[in-house]
Amino acid sequence: MSARTLRALAPLVAAAFVAVLPLLVSDRFLLKIFTFAGINALVVTGLALLFGYAGQVSLGHAAFVGLGAYTCALCTVRLDWPWLLAFAASGAVAALGGLVLALPSLRLKGHYLAMATLGFGVLMSIVFVEAEPVTGGVDGFGGIPFPSLGPLLVRDAASLYWLVWGTVAIAVVAAFNVTSLRPGRAMRALHGSEQGAQASGVDVVGVKVRTFVASALLAGLAGALYASVVGFISPSIFTFAASITFLAMTVLGGTGSLAGPLVAAVLLTLLQYLDALIPGIPTETAQALQRYQEDIYGLAIILVVVFAPAGLAGLWRRRRGGGEAA
Amino acid sequence: MSLLQARNVTKRFGGLVAVDDVSFEVFEGTIKALIGPNGAGKSTLFNALTGFDRPDGGSVLFDGAELVGRTPRETVHAGVARTFQNTRLFEEMTAGENVMVGSQARQRSGFLAAMLRLPAAVADDRDARAEAGRLLRLIGIEEWLDAPAADLPAGIRRLVEIARALATGPRLLLLDEPAAGLNLTETRELVQTLFRVRDSGVTVVVVEHDMGLVMEVSDEIIVLDRGRRIAEGPPRIIQKDPAVIAAYLGGGDEDV
Repeated sequence: MSARTLRALAPLVAAAFVAVLPLLVSDRFLLKIFTFAGINALVVTGLALLFGYAGQVSLGHAAFVGLGAYTCALCTVRLDWPWLLAFAASGAVAALGGLVLALPSLRLKGHYLAMATLGFGVLMSIVFVEAEPVTGGVDGFGGIPFPSLGPLLVRDAASLYWLVWGTVAIAVVAAFNVTSLRPGRAMRALHGSEQGAQASGVDVVGVKVRTFVASALLAGLAGALYASVVGFISPSIFTFAASITFLAMTVLGGTGSLAGPLVAAVLLTLLQYLDALIPGIPTETAQALQRYQEDIYGLAIILVVVFAPAGLAGLWRRRRGGGEAA
Repeated sequence: MSLLQARNVTKRFGGLVAVDDVSFEVFEGTIKALIGPNGAGKSTLFNALTGFDRPDGGSVLFDGAELVGRTPRETVHAGVARTFQNTRLFEEMTAGENVMVGSQARQRSGFLAAMLRLPAAVADDRDARAEAGRLLRLIGIEEWLDAPAADLPAGIRRLVEIARALATGPRLLLLDEPAAGLNLTETRELVQTLFRVRDSGVTVVVVEHDMGLVMEVSDEIIVLDRGRRIAEGPPRIIQKDPAVIAAYLGGGDEDV
């Protein structure tokens, strides 16, 4: 089999494996971990567009996840909306947040943009706590119903898993289409040289705004899925630490790639549940790993940036001796 | 017929007048060279013409339409493309992909069309790919199509940038020192390329230090010194112009 067919087949094999996993795994907790991995993968797919392709850093993506989660909770519990409508609204509200954040970002670059997104993240996490009548404050927001697609209630572990990963599949295909066609080249051009992009007629402002909005939208949808899968949300979930986790997954996964960040999102999610995945692992080791989670992510970011700036995807490309981004 | 008319263009940086009341015309289908010692204001003038810098005074008419006040992108859309003195390539993209980006200026398909892989988006992609191949062949560097920009030799980088500018479909092409970093053979090829570009209907303005190239390719030359236009005319006249000779030899500027 040629390298070319192998490359074309790899995503299909991976997709097939992801699809049949619930049939192979009967443990509900394990399935839930993989469901969370899918939710993270959804956020990271958006961040891969923003960071990996367009080269814009966001240190506040958990805020968009939170916006989506709270919107879903409010729409289903308080407004009694059908789930699909609430799901769409969650994406829309987060996308609107992305638009609001994109406006200052047009004037900012590098560290300053990072600071602005950081500020946005912190601001939103305070809003989640303080807007108690709406969000439930520090006590959180519970009783969020399971997803339902029309008359079909999605509540068992396997169905939730399929719903999440189905959404991921649609998002990845859409993101792949975007990155492989005209807008994707504009994003990569923006990353490469903003002046070069302008001189090539690239709509620099438009590309930045659209990418921000798209990544916020995916984060919002991920938030809605999280809220519906778990049934309870609180401000402690959508913190700066969570934003760093998403960024770590994206950076580790690599620039100019969707597959790399996707794989990294799954791997780093599994890392959080090592004790459940490896039965024999000493409890102390698992706890230590969990306690130092953020430190591990921070260290991972530093190591990747220093030693392999193009991340997992870059190592993969180098091993294969070049080839185009996928 | 004059394609570009710059009138009294002035650009100041604090107390320094980088471009001082410069006027000139570029006729359609010609190659015009813009020369002058380092610091004469050539790149500043280029930036003022292409929307990268807003002139403090004056007007730039392109085919009768005002360019001053337009963004770089709007300038490209109007039909004026440029290259940079220090190439601004997209390092992580291949030479071919770099040139494909230039086609963005002529195309419209957006995020939604791409997301759904609508025929318009796929057609734009195919068109950009074909155009990149055609332009790299025109310039004679098609063997670099799949090479990452970061790996290209300096001379090839300049040519890729020219191809990228041509991909925007310009009527006027502004080249900022295209021969810098080229060896003799490459410079010869560049001369041929410039003639081919002109013959394909694109008017050219070129900033260049290589006097051999300037004298060979240009129909007309404009000379700047310390921001002011000191001479303008055909190569044979410019070579003998006392003001030009003084600017190059008498200004204590070793870069001739």
